[in-house]
Amino acid sequence: MTREELQIRLEGREGHLRRRRAVNLAMEGLSTAAAVVAVGVLAIVIGSVIVKGAGAFGPDLFLHSEVPFGEKGGGVANAIVGTALLIAMASVCAVPIGLLVAIYAHEFSGGRVAFALRFVLDVLNGVPTIVTGIFVFSLLVVGSGQTAFAGALALAIIMLPIVARAAQEVLALVPQAIREGGLALGLSRWKVLLRIVLPSAAGGLLTGALLAVARVAGETAPLLFTCSVFAQGISLNPAHAVASLPLRIFQLAEGNSPEEHDEAWAAALLLILFVLALNLLARYLYARTRSRVGQ
Amino acid sequence: MSARPPTTPPAASDAPSPAASPAAERAITRKAPTVRLRGLRAFYGDRERLKGIDLDFEANQVTAVIGPSGCGKSTLIRCINRMHEEVPGARSEGRVLLDDLNLYDPAIDVIAVRRTVGMVFQRPNPFPTMSIFDNVAAGPRLSGTPKKQLPEIVERALRDAGLWDEVKDRLRAPAHALSGGQQQRLCIARSLAVDPLVLLLDEPCSALDPTATLKIEDLLGELKSRVTIVIVTHNMQQAARVADRTAFLLDGELIEVGPTAAIFTNPRDRRTEDYVTGKFG
Repeated sequence: MTREELQIRLEGREGHLRRRRAVNLAMEGLSTAAAVVAVGVLAIVIGSVIVKGAGAFGPDLFLHSEVPFGEKGGGVANAIVGTALLIAMASVCAVPIGLLVAIYAHEFSGGRVAFALRFVLDVLNGVPTIVTGIFVFSLLVVGSGQTAFAGALALAIIMLPIVARAAQEVLALVPQAIREGGLALGLSRWKVLLRIVLPSAAGGLLTGALLAVARVAGETAPLLFTCSVFAQGISLNPAHAVASLPLRIFQLAEGNSPEEHDEAWAAALLLILFVLALNLLARYLYARTRSRVGQ
Repeated sequence: MSARPPTTPPAASDAPSPAASPAAERAITRKAPTVRLRGLRAFYGDRERLKGIDLDFEANQVTAVIGPSGCGKSTLIRCINRMHEEVPGARSEGRVLLDDLNLYDPAIDVIAVRRTVGMVFQRPNPFPTMSIFDNVAAGPRLSGTPKKQLPEIVERALRDAGLWDEVKDRLRAPAHALSGGQQQRLCIARSLAVDPLVLLLDEPCSALDPTATLKIEDLLGELKSRVTIVIVTHNMQQAARVADRTAFLLDGELIEVGPTAAIFTNPRDRRTEDYVTGKFG
């Protein structure tokens, strides 16, 4: 091969390579545009919430509960406390069960059971949340009234598959060689799991839980039937309905005074910041786990 | 692509014959380019993995790159077909020349580089959803070679890889039905199908049994009649069997390069001697 032939070849001056470069450029442009659209949608949503919510976003929002109809001022303190209570109760319920489901499916059950479990969890994850709400309504609310407990249960049902599926993925990241290393020392499976597998996966497991919390923090539909007729003050009693941020946003947005609308935007900003913070934390923990298991 | 007779006598003949005689020397059927590294430095993030390498891989010869794990052998050959830059955070400095053309020159097309400098990886990596035929045809087909030329290209590549007689009756079988050694020769055939001038092999036999290894070693002796071959290996017997020249790398630096026999029997550097006699590594 002469120098000129080699040069032509290496510079890709043959016809089909030129065509390839043109197609390549076009496709790269298209996918870049698609990425810009995706990021743009998020930017517009967050941007408009910030612009419209910043005005009423201040200490009053956190320090005051809602006020009786017709009065000026007030905040969403009762809704913040209520959402915190609902999420805490739902997490206490769903996170341990979700982790155990994942541990059972990944570490103890056979391949077929694990496959079936994954499928069931995916179906559960796909159940519309309003259906979950009606189910809990018929189970707990009919005849006895709305309670924070019923709302938390509905949220827990939504969280369970998210936690369990995420935990399964994380356990699958832990290399088999690490388990075998422990088993070859004569350790019991349970010890290997508790002392070797779970610690290396801890960050990722927490990530799944955080993402589930972020997901249900904004859920409105399942609370409509189960925990929406709430008092105006701060309440920590699980036997009564408590306020929640998403429902309060809904109520404020339905209101007819501009102050209420401003407050709705401010509450929306608060909710979106909370969810954003959880997602960032989750990403950080996940990256740490991945580097720790050497993936 | 002229098959002009080489202007110099086959370079292989001036190399002292290595310990065990390599596969029968063939006349050069196509003059392949010499690969020259000039001041080649490679980085992963801030870590400098290759610290300025000057090294020539002679045309139509097999050069083995040896050295302990982590010395930068794989990084070095991945710089030759510009696969190094595919790793996030990785970059390189310096020049890689085919004869006198710098592969890192802005005028050079990176896709064309990879068609000119083929690569075979440590583990056989046939495309799992494709048949034997489709694996070999993948390169030419996906780069627009007319369909009716494919059977001929595939047959020639499989013959060159010494696999034709074993698979000619089951070209439509899935590639995963082949044994590990056959899969690796399939991957060599796949590389040859795009007609490279240089072939890089990154520990191609480390996942194979001795019989399959010998077949691939014989193959390299035949292929060098038309391609320049660089093989990274952990196995010093393999280097002695297949390589005309051997380069010893340590901690990202080239310690010594020369005719294989000289490296193994009479190394100039103490570190080379310690490594080839098994004192470390």
